[in-house]
Amino acid sequence: MESIRGRLTVWYATALILSIAVFAVVLYFARRSATYQDLDRRIQSEADLTAGILAESYHTRGVLVEKDTAGRPVLTPEVAAVLEVVPDFLLVTSRDGTLLFGSPDARSLGFAQFEQINALANRGVTGTRAAPAAFRLAPNGPTLHYVIRPVPEAGGQIGTILAGADTRSAELQIEQLVTTIVIAFLVGIVPAVLVGRWIAGRALEPVDQMITEIREITDGRSLHRRLPVSMEKDELGRLAATLNQMWTRLERSFAALRRFTADASHELKTPLTVVRAGVERAITRPGLPHETLAPLEETLQEVNRMTELLDSLLTLARADEGRADLHREPVDIREIIEEAGETGELLAEHAGVGIDIRLPGDPVVLAVDRSRVRQLALNLIENAVKYTPRGGQVSVELGSSDGRVVFTVADTGIGIAPGDLPHVFDRFWRADSARTRTSERAGTGLGLAICKWIAEAHGGTIEVQSRPGRGTTFTVGLPR
Amino acid sequence: MKILVIEDDKTVGEYVRRGLDEAGYHVDLVGDGDEGLRRASGKGSSYDMMVLDLRLPKLSGIDVLRTLRDRGVGLPVLVLTAQDSVDFKVQALRMGADDYVTKPFAFEELLARVEALGRRPKEIAPPTLKVAGLQLDTGSREVTRDGKRIELTPKEYAVLEYLMRHQGRVMSRTLITEYAWDYHFDPGTNIVDVVITRLRKKIDHAREPKLIHTVRGVGYVVRA
Repeated sequence: MESIRGRLTVWYATALILSIAVFAVVLYFARRSATYQDLDRRIQSEADLTAGILAESYHTRGVLVEKDTAGRPVLTPEVAAVLEVVPDFLLVTSRDGTLLFGSPDARSLGFAQFEQINALANRGVTGTRAAPAAFRLAPNGPTLHYVIRPVPEAGGQIGTILAGADTRSAELQIEQLVTTIVIAFLVGIVPAVLVGRWIAGRALEPVDQMITEIREITDGRSLHRRLPVSMEKDELGRLAATLNQMWTRLERSFAALRRFTADASHELKTPLTVVRAGVERAITRPGLPHETLAPLEETLQEVNRMTELLDSLLTLARADEGRADLHREPVDIREIIEEAGETGELLAEHAGVGIDIRLPGDPVVLAVDRSRVRQLALNLIENAVKYTPRGGQVSVELGSSDGRVVFTVADTGIGIAPGDLPHVFDRFWRADSARTRTSERAGTGLGLAICKWIAEAHGGTIEVQSRPGRGTTFTVGLPR
Repeated sequence: MKILVIEDDKTVGEYVRRGLDEAGYHVDLVGDGDEGLRRASGKGSSYDMMVLDLRLPKLSGIDVLRTLRDRGVGLPVLVLTAQDSVDFKVQALRMGADDYVTKPFAFEELLARVEALGRRPKEIAPPTLKVAGLQLDTGSREVTRDGKRIELTPKEYAVLEYLMRHQGRVMSRTLITEYAWDYHFDPGTNIVDVVITRLRKKIDHAREPKLIHTVRGVGYVVRA
């Protein structure tokens, strides 16, 4: 689940389903037990009613049993007629176990099943009142709940009464209940989940709004903007207030950085200008002795290095601030690479390295900052030559792929260790000092960081591939 | 030609003043914006150009520029700035500056821009530089020695032109590098040696007199 809203809905639905299920199970068992209690109470009262009728008849007539035409003892027709109206199963047995009466329900049973009930009734002859019990008639017959009750009030003519009822009616009620629960559950859960989703969505709507606004503030670099803070001090209100505080601090630190870069530019560059001015004036004065000229030349060189370092630092500081400090104009990239290539040839000649430069036949015109792209090309070419031993080869190529302008600088140099690869674009990162030719002076360590900035500020990419001892390839991709 | 330089840093100001003075300009140096503005826009002001530092006490360079243009003074203005960010330069140009130089600058660059801004009609034709039999036409970028044409690559041309402009003077490797390469790129001074080796092959090989001379540890000089 991607969104909080989805997760909330799932949790809500799960909780709802669980509680309904628990409710249904409890209801099921409670209803079931109540239904069976009702059933048992019914048969109990039927037994008591029958016993009452028999006792009453005994007191008024004295005779309850007579012989039928076959000479078997049965209840007198008057008594039997009264008992006919008692529903369910009713068996009246004499003290010696002879069946005296069977209700219509009992009589309608098959012979085998009737005998089973009769056996039950006989088993109870010696006993007294017994709690209701269950018995399943074989084979495949209904399950009965029954009670057996002795009838001492009838002057010894009657032994026991068995009153029983089919549990099917009770089961039917419970089945209906289960059906109702299932239907109610199915009908109820869908709207409940939908409502839950809607509630979650409503509760999270301000969060969505906030996300949109935060994105605008961050993307548009309009750090002066703030989120509207509602008067309610709820969680979202507090979140907005906290974010606003954070932006205030961010804005302040960015402002401090801006001020610092401006101040540093001025405070450091003015003295550099003064030093430079003095050295330049001195060095261009005709007729100076060699021993004066040489240190002046060294000083001038150092001043330039320092200026370059300062410029790189300020450029990166501004880049951190997100300001793409570019002066873009349409340029044929071939011209830039060609010019950088000439410098590359000079460097390669000095280092004893071969170099070949391949440019496409047609113009490659992009809106770029000319001096920055030149800096990028020169840096990569210079690096390639610097890290390639005498006799090696540097290949510079300008081409295109996937609608992008691709500039690659490949060398057959010492390469970069795999562990170092992720760091080559870091500021002040430098390859192991053993890698550079000892005669070369180390650079500022900012060259590749600047290259990365230049590529990215133009909306492009820079990548490096390298194998130690085999060479390194830098690939710059610029969007058309 | 009269140039007004407004720069609060005395050393830099003095350097610019003397340098321009040596190049044949008449220069007045003032230390703050108020004074500069008064002089530039006052009655009878006779300046042909202004070199303006952007960070000044009292009235900032940007304010001087804005006020100047508001008053309808169309004097060419070259701005000196420590800020090399593009938007800052763009702001200065929008305010009516004609060009800018970023500190720390090579005097050569400042001079070139002053010359470009204040170019008088007779100077429009680019000069031809000559040393003995060597000729360099800065307009067509053609180089000949004893009448024979010599093909040079752009960097070779740039280095030779620089040395010929300052013929007879020792030019340090760093100054040559600065002139011929991008400000942001330091290819190391060895590269100048490579260019010089190539130039010698094309210009001095089997010819007399040799024109390109090495000053060890410092740089090169072109002289007959």
